[in-house]
Amino acid sequence: MTRSTRIVMGCLYWIFVLYLLMPLALMMVMGFKDSKFIGFPINSWTLDWYKGVIADREVLSTFGYSTVIAVLSTVIALTVGTWIAVALTGRKFLGRAIILGLTLLPAVIPGVISAIAFRIYARVLGVEPGMWAIIWSHAVHNVPFVALVVIARLSTLPPSQTEAARDLGADPLVAFFRITIPYLAPAMIGAGVFCMLLSFDDFVRSYFLGGYQPTLPVLIFAKLRSGMSPEVNAISTVVLILTAILGIWAERSMRRLKS
Amino acid sequence: MTQAHDPIVRIEGLTKSFGTAIALHEMNLTIAPGEFVTFLGPSGCGKSTTLRILGGFETPNTGRVILRGEDVTDLPPNKRNVNMVFQDYALFPHMTTRRNIAFGLELKGMPKPAIAARIDELASFLELTNYLDRRPDQLSGGQRQRVALARALAPDPELLLLDEPLGALDAKLRGQVQIELKNIQQRTKKAFFFVTHDQEEALTMSDRIVVMNKGRIEQDGTPEELYHRPANRFVAEFIGETNFLDGVLRGMEAGTAVIDWQGHQLRCQTALQGLQSGRPVTVSLRPERISVHTTAPAAEAIPAKIVSSVFKGSRNLLHLAVNSATMSAYVDNANLAQPGDTVWITWPSDAISLIVD
Repeated sequence: MTRSTRIVMGCLYWIFVLYLLMPLALMMVMGFKDSKFIGFPINSWTLDWYKGVIADREVLSTFGYSTVIAVLSTVIALTVGTWIAVALTGRKFLGRAIILGLTLLPAVIPGVISAIAFRIYARVLGVEPGMWAIIWSHAVHNVPFVALVVIARLSTLPPSQTEAARDLGADPLVAFFRITIPYLAPAMIGAGVFCMLLSFDDFVRSYFLGGYQPTLPVLIFAKLRSGMSPEVNAISTVVLILTAILGIWAERSMRRLKS
Repeated sequence: MTQAHDPIVRIEGLTKSFGTAIALHEMNLTIAPGEFVTFLGPSGCGKSTTLRILGGFETPNTGRVILRGEDVTDLPPNKRNVNMVFQDYALFPHMTTRRNIAFGLELKGMPKPAIAARIDELASFLELTNYLDRRPDQLSGGQRQRVALARALAPDPELLLLDEPLGALDAKLRGQVQIELKNIQQRTKKAFFFVTHDQEEALTMSDRIVVMNKGRIEQDGTPEELYHRPANRFVAEFIGETNFLDGVLRGMEAGTAVIDWQGHQLRCQTALQGLQSGRPVTVSLRPERISVHTTAPAAEAIPAKIVSSVFKGSRNLLHLAVNSATMSAYVDNANLAQPGDTVWITWPSDAISLIVD
């Protein structure tokens, strides 16, 4: 690469980064505006919107509610997804391709369709709208991501690893929990964080399957209907920062475990 | 092979096939306590299958494996007192050396202080004391190999299985580790069952070598027996370099075969009996046992023509022609014979062995 093309490439890269980050930056800045209306010019600054978010019990309880849903649905998705991955990797059997296909299906079905389907199914089964209905739909939606990531990691596990454990006296279950699971840990952490973020971010399923208590995206949506205000910007900024921290932590711990 | 003690392992009529491919054919074998037995053969000869059946990772189609008098053929790997050193060592990457070695001991239900004592004992024995708190990725190839050995020896197995464990080491280290491994085996007094395709490795370490080919045992004997008295063409060719002299049997005289080869009479001691005169036979003659003379030494020397001479450092490799046959011989550098010269070759009477396929 010549010097001039390198400069051009560098410029293009930074333009692209600005393009990606500009909306987020604007959102954060507007949270500091001392006025109800979002837009320039900003004549005076305030921390009141952020203080309001931290003091708002509704926002805080909603945040907790979304977190509980994210954690529980992730635990279910990780268990089921890992189980399917192990079952599919062990040996070839009839219908393996079909099971894999069915496992991956929820990832490609449009959100609205799957949300409506879940709503109808929940009604048929007599499941009340609310936390467990949301957790259930999030878990089903997230299983394919876990299964894919874990299958990829499992395919790199040398067979001699579990054989060595068996050789040293481990029965299949002990070998699985003491050798296979630690080997899968980086993949499971990565998939888990991804699932949590997907669940935390999900609007459609949470909206269709929710009861009276809204999840955070549903609450933000409700607030937007009564008009844009910097309060929404402040909520979003806090969420952005927390999820970024979670993502960076997951990335770092995965790299540490894999090395 | 006669044994003073009861065998550690007895294999009876072991057969294993994968689909239509036969990996093992009616194999019988015993391993005595403290014996270093090497399974030697090309890839696909059935040596690894035998090892995996002994370890419990494969079930034979027919036949039995008897470990210390107990039939273990159908027992899973965790239920038999046999441990394995894997080709890639299979150290657990998320555990330190200490935890790797402790793994088998913990599963045996050994109390913690006893585990610690056993680890210390093995670590000083295998010079791992300074590496106990490192993970496998912080160890060199040779250290990893010793950790794998320590981990497999820790539960005090009846028999240790080694699946080409030196393959991953570089050539220089390998020679050193061969001697080390032999020492370790002698000090632990354990039976080692070693699998390799490297004949030099087998010759260096083994008390006994079992040469395998296509699922069958070709020969079973000490390294010296295999080298000097190969049972057949395959063994002679697989172990070391050799010349095959194809001739015709003229007759047998009290344990000595008289063979007609290129118009010369060869005399070869053999235990084989009842061979028909006039049948084609082969003798194996190692190139380093041939003496090359520039002047005719005696009536029994065979004249040969030097086709080429290749410098090999400590010695020269000569290609010789005797009438229509060719053969190779190693000679001292000081030998001044040149290509095109006529020389006379002789060998000690025990240098040739009769092969009947």
